[in-house]
Amino acid sequence: MTATLFLEQVVNGIILGSMYALMGAGLALIYGTMRILNFAHGEFYMLGGFFVFFLFAQQHVHPVLAVVLSTAAVALIAALVQRLTVDILLKREGWAFSTIAVTLGVSVFLQNLALALWGERFQSVPYFVEGILQVGEFRLPWQRILILAVAVAVMATMAAVLRWTRFGWAVRATAQDPEAAAVVGVPARRIHTVTFALGAALAAVAAAMLAPVFAVNPWMGLPLIIKAFVVVVLGGLGSFPGAIVGGFLLGIVEAVGITLTSSEWRDVIAFGMMIAFLWVRPWGLFGVKER
Amino acid sequence: MFAPLAPQGRAAVALLVAVLLILPLVWHDTYALHLIILSMIFGAFAVAWNFTTGYAGLKTFGHHAFFGIGAYFSALISKNLEISPWLTTPAAGLVAAAAGLVVALPVLRIRSVPHVAMVTLGFAEIVRVLLTVFRETTRGEMGLWGIPAYDGFTIPGLGEIAFNAAEKVPYYYLAAFLFLGSVYAVVRMVKSPIGLALVAIRDSQDAAESLGISLTRYKLLAFSTSAFMVGLLGAFYAHYILLLTPSSVLGLDLMIYIIGITLIGGVGTLFGPIIGAFVLTIGIEAMRGIGEYRMLIYGALIIVVVMFMPRGLVALLDRLGPRMGFGRGVALATSDDAAKAG
Amino acid sequence: MLEVAGLDVKYGDVQVLWDISLTVGTGEVVAVMGPNGSGKSTILKAIIGLVRASAGRIALDGKPLAGVPTHAMAGEGVSLVLERRRLFPQMTVLENVRMGAFHPSARGRERERLEWVESLFPILRERRGQLAGRMSGGEQQMVAIARGLMSGPRLLMMDEPFLGLAPRIVGQIVDIIGRINAEGIAVLFNEQNVHLSFSNAHRGYLLESGRIVLEGAGLAMLEHEMVKRVYLGA
Repeated sequence: MTATLFLEQVVNGIILGSMYALMGAGLALIYGTMRILNFAHGEFYMLGGFFVFFLFAQQHVHPVLAVVLSTAAVALIAALVQRLTVDILLKREGWAFSTIAVTLGVSVFLQNLALALWGERFQSVPYFVEGILQVGEFRLPWQRILILAVAVAVMATMAAVLRWTRFGWAVRATAQDPEAAAVVGVPARRIHTVTFALGAALAAVAAAMLAPVFAVNPWMGLPLIIKAFVVVVLGGLGSFPGAIVGGFLLGIVEAVGITLTSSEWRDVIAFGMMIAFLWVRPWGLFGVKER
Repeated sequence: MFAPLAPQGRAAVALLVAVLLILPLVWHDTYALHLIILSMIFGAFAVAWNFTTGYAGLKTFGHHAFFGIGAYFSALISKNLEISPWLTTPAAGLVAAAAGLVVALPVLRIRSVPHVAMVTLGFAEIVRVLLTVFRETTRGEMGLWGIPAYDGFTIPGLGEIAFNAAEKVPYYYLAAFLFLGSVYAVVRMVKSPIGLALVAIRDSQDAAESLGISLTRYKLLAFSTSAFMVGLLGAFYAHYILLLTPSSVLGLDLMIYIIGITLIGGVGTLFGPIIGAFVLTIGIEAMRGIGEYRMLIYGALIIVVVMFMPRGLVALLDRLGPRMGFGRGVALATSDDAAKAG
Repeated sequence: MLEVAGLDVKYGDVQVLWDISLTVGTGEVVAVMGPNGSGKSTILKAIIGLVRASAGRIALDGKPLAGVPTHAMAGEGVSLVLERRRLFPQMTVLENVRMGAFHPSARGRERERLEWVESLFPILRERRGQLAGRMSGGEQQMVAIARGLMSGPRLLMMDEPFLGLAPRIVGQIVDIIGRINAEGIAVLFNEQNVHLSFSNAHRGYLLESGRIVLEGAGLAMLEHEMVKRVYLGA
C-alpha cells in the first residue's frame, strides 16, 4: 500500500469517526442528564436518513433546507417519544431497566413503521455537492469534506451551548446533581425532554450527511447505534467530550485496522477495542469512576 | 421468591403439563406442533434469561450469544466431524457455559445497568461478526445447511423413532423435555440456598456483601448455568431448523424477542416468560395475514406493556384466579434503582 | 412570613414527621435543633417541595406553597442550601454561583447580587475559575450559601450549614448568617448542636423523633430545664 492510499484511509477514518462522534455525543448527552440508555437512538438516525431522502431526493428541496427540516422533525418526534415514555418511567421504580425496554420497543416500532412507509429497498440519495478534491495523488470527494465540516461545526456549536448558555448550564447542572439543580430553579423535566430531542437531532444530522454515502433503509440504525455504544464506552458513558474523542479514535483505529487486515474485520476491531477498554478502564477516557 | 403454589395451582400446572404431553398424540397438525415447539424453545430461553435478569439482577442484553454459540458449535461439529448430535448438543451447552464465564467476568466489575447492557450486547455482536467473517467454515449470511438431524432409534413396543422435517412428534417430545427440564432446573435453583443468595444479591449488593455471600461465585454460577441452558436450546434449534445464519440466531432481533416475551408475560415471575412465549410466538403467526404491520404491532405492544402493564399478563391471570398463585414473584425493581432515582 | 401547620411526611409507609407547626417571621433567624435522624432535613425538603407532605399546610405570606414545584420556589423567594453543600462539582465556582440566579425572576439583578455575594465571601472572587469539586469543605459551603443567595430570597433555608467544618470556619459562617439577616433576609437553619443552634437564632424549635417538643426564644431555649438535662448534661 502506498503512503497516499494509507493517508486516504486515515482521512476516511476521521470522517467516519466524526459521524461516530455525533452518534455517541447524542447518546452521551441523553445518558448524562437522565442516566438512561436510549436504544431507539439508531432509529432516530434512520428517520433522519429517510426524511432527507424524502425531502431532497424525492421532493428536490434545497439540501441545506432538507437537512435542517429533517433534523428538526426528528427532534420533535424524539421530544414526543420522551414525553410519552421515558418521562413517565423515570418516576417509577426500576426505571434503569424499564427505560431500556421501552426504547427497544420504540426501536422495533419505528423500524417497522419505516418499512411500512418506504419499503425494504435501499434508497439512494444523491451527493449534496459533486466533485473531488485532488492534491497530488491524494483524492477526496467534496461530499466527504462537507460531512466532516458539518460534523465539526455541529459539535463545536453543541459544546459552546453547553459551556456558555443558560440552557447548557442547566443541562450540566441537572447531570451533576438533579436535586440541587431543581432547588436553584432548573425545571428538570423540560431539560430532560429538550436534551433527549437534541441528542436525537445529533443522530439525525449524522444520518442526513451520511445518506448520500450509505444508502437509506429501515435497518440502517442498528450498526450505527452499536458503534455509538462502543464510542460512549471508550469516552466514558455520559461524557460529551469523551464521546467526541471516542468517536474519532474509533474511526481512526478502524481505518488503520482494516488496512492491516481487511474491511470485514472492521466490526471485530471496534468491539475488541470496547471489550479491552472495559477490562482496563471501564469508566472510559473521560468518565468518572463510579462504584 | 416464588411463593409455593396453592394446591389448586399445583393441580392446574399438572393438568397443563399433561395436556402438553398428550397433545401431539391426538392433534396431528404439523404446523401447530411446530409453533408449540418454537414456543417451548423460546419460552425456556426466556425463563433462563429471566433467571439471570429478574433474579440474579444481571441485566444482560447479550444472551442470544449463547444461543448462537450453542447452535453453531453443535451444527459445525456434528456436520464436519460426523459426531452424533446427541453428543454435540450437551457439549454445546458446556461450550456456551464456558463462554458465559468469559462474559460474566467483566460484567461482574460493573454495576450500572447501561454498562452491563452494552458489554453483553457487544460480546454477542463480536460472536455474530466472527461467524460472518469466517465464512469458509460457517458460510456466513449465505446460511449453514446440511446440518445433521438427530439420529433415530427404536423403542421396543413403539417402533422406530425418526427425526426429520416431516415428523414433528419426536422433536416435540425432545423440545418438551428441554422446556420442562429448564423450568424445573430454574425452580430448583430458585428454591435452593443458592436462590436465596441470588435474591440477596439482587435486593442489595452491599447487604449481601456484608452477610459474607460471595457475589462473584454466585453470579458466575447463575450466569453460566443460564448460558448452559440457552446453549442447549440453541443446539436443539440447529438440529431442528437445519439452517443457520448469523443474523437469525445472533441478531439483536432475537434478543429483543426474548425480552419482549418476558415483558409481555411478566418479568421476575416463573410463569410470565412461559405465557409470553406462547402468546407472542402464536400471536405473531396468527397476525401473518396483516403482513408487515404485525411487527409494527409487536413493537407497539412492547411499549404498551412497559408503560401500562409493567407486571405483564401474569398479573391478569392473577386477577382471574388469585388463589392459584401464578403471578407470585417479585417486581424487577431493585433497591439500587430506587436509590439512584431518589 | 413562613407558616407551617400540622405537617406530616411519610416515606412510603414510614412516617417521619408528625404534626409539625412552625413559623418564621420577617427578618427572623430560626433554628431547628434535633439529634441525627429526628427529621430536621425533611422539614426543609418538604417546604421546598423535594418531598411531599401527606398532611398539613405550608404558606408564605399567606400564599399556600403546596403544588408549587421545587424549581419554581426561587420565584417565590425561598432558597435552600442543601446538606453537604451539593455543588455542581464539574462546574467552576463562578458557574455554580451564577446557577443560583437561574430562575427567570432573578436574572435581571444577577450582576448586582454577584457583587454582593462576592463581598460577603471575598474568596469566591479569587477562585472564580476553579472547579467547585476541588475546594475544601468550608470554601464549598461558602459557594453553596452564595448560590442560595443569588436568587434574592426573602427566606434562606440552610440544612446543617456547619456540618463537618472546622471551628474557625463555623465562626465565619455564623458571622455571615448575621450579615445576611442584617439585609432583612429571614433564615431558617438546622443543626444538631444545642449551642450552635440556639445562641445564633432569635427563636428555636427542638425536634425529637419527628415531633416538635419545645419552642421558644433562642437564649431561653438554652436555659430550659429539658434542654439542659438531656442535651447539656446538666
